[in-house]
Amino acid sequence: MKSIFCFFLPASFYKIVATAISFYYITSASAFNKNNLNDTTPMSTQKEAILFIENIKDLKSSAYWPNVNPNLFLRNLKENIYTPLSIYEGSNTNFCGYAALSYLPLHDDPLGYAKFMLQLYEQGKAKIGTAFIQPSSEILQAAGTLKYKGVLDIRPADQVWFLSLADHFKGYVNFFNRHYDAGDENTFWASVNYAKFNRMVRKLFNYTVNTRGYDLIHPHINDLYEYISNKMKEGTVVLYLNNAYLYKKKHNTVRPAIPTHFIILLDIIKTGDFITIIYWDYGFRSLRQITPAFLKKIVFGISCCTKKLSHE
Amino acid sequence: MSNKINAAILSGITMLLYSCTPTTNISKYYFENGKLLDSIQESYKQQYKQRPFSIEFTDKTFKNISIEIFTDTLKYIYEFSTSEDRMKDTLLKYHLSVTDINKLISQMASVHCTWINNLDYYVAGRKEFLVFMSMRAKPFNFPFTNKKYYILTYFLQPQYYDVEGRLLDHKFRKKIRKINEDIFRRITDKVAYTISDRFR
Repeated sequence: MKSIFCFFLPASFYKIVATAISFYYITSASAFNKNNLNDTTPMSTQKEAILFIENIKDLKSSAYWPNVNPNLFLRNLKENIYTPLSIYEGSNTNFCGYAALSYLPLHDDPLGYAKFMLQLYEQGKAKIGTAFIQPSSEILQAAGTLKYKGVLDIRPADQVWFLSLADHFKGYVNFFNRHYDAGDENTFWASVNYAKFNRMVRKLFNYTVNTRGYDLIHPHINDLYEYISNKMKEGTVVLYLNNAYLYKKKHNTVRPAIPTHFIILLDIIKTGDFITIIYWDYGFRSLRQITPAFLKKIVFGISCCTKKLSHE
Repeated sequence: MSNKINAAILSGITMLLYSCTPTTNISKYYFENGKLLDSIQESYKQQYKQRPFSIEFTDKTFKNISIEIFTDTLKYIYEFSTSEDRMKDTLLKYHLSVTDINKLISQMASVHCTWINNLDYYVAGRKEFLVFMSMRAKPFNFPFTNKKYYILTYFLQPQYYDVEGRLLDHKFRKKIRKINEDIFRRITDKVAYTISDRFR
């Protein structure tokens, strides 16, 4: 099908059309059953997760994941539970969306995360939220083999997590590359558009996700600082950004004005003419002082993820 | 007259071809300026021991920099003009030598080095470090290459290369190692280079 489409018009045309018809989100929605009185966000503590994971002394090799060393897998899970901010997307991959959403279970439900990961490892499939994750054979083979990605090289559990999510969830940006081939972690196969990100958070972790933003155009918000500050009081704020400005990699005069990066905003403070942002974009926290104009230039989406503490 | 035109065309084509053979040129450049480049790398490593950091020139004129300074809990990203006084205060705050960092910055500008960083990579599950230096191709005055960066990597140990001079992952496996998705080639046992369309 891909080749037939490409014969008539270039792939870029379809990407533009698909982007243009993407939805503008100002929504609050849930993937869970609203009639269910137990429709709450799963929660657990770090202490519970540590007790659980430290009781696993011997993890056997999995027949489903031939390239994942069980000891490294277990060590990686422990690292994620003990130091949730250490999870890293890998250098030059398109896993940032999956890394960003990992912040939620690692902080709010580490026990649920650990149980899911162990089941996925031992049985080759597992359920999390309303999503039943059953990775394809290509993913089962690829996990544990990703190399030259920095610390991701030695973190097979993170490879399993990122690859499985990318394999399961599809958005329009994945339309032309839906099946994994070696090296696809750096391509559109792994990309996450804004709607896909929000959908994943709802389905996987049952948060109420209040979103504002587009895939191509900046949201129309008069006082962006004020808006984001208020959202931070409600829940975990994820910003969808243009990374070409946040982390410049080229000196080209013309840079694509499209968002490509997700970060977790940890704090935002206004002092005089500047705004200080503290954010987590995998591996460590960063602090940066920017102007309000620069903030407006880089932000394309603001998602506020709030826990459902009781039936809504 | 026609001979002159032919000669001009021929020399033009020769220049164009020369500009398309950066392999020789970056190696040649390294051997001509190795002392300065090695000194930048050595100076950076010494300062890095005091406090992990990286330096980036954010503009084409090499007047503005971004410094990323790592502490145990945060990565601080600062932007300065090289002539600004507040840079000095920041360096002092993080116990970095103002004199040495200023010298490093001016040395980087003199070779059009846009980015210097300590990069981690993994060999058989073990963490290793290399110094990563990107230089704008422009100072070499090659036409049609102004959007490219020459990247030098300084390894702590001698590396393995194949017969074509490509950096290998391991002595016996003969798999080509990539850094930042680029294939690197040998200059010396410990120094490799690549040409990339991004500097970091």
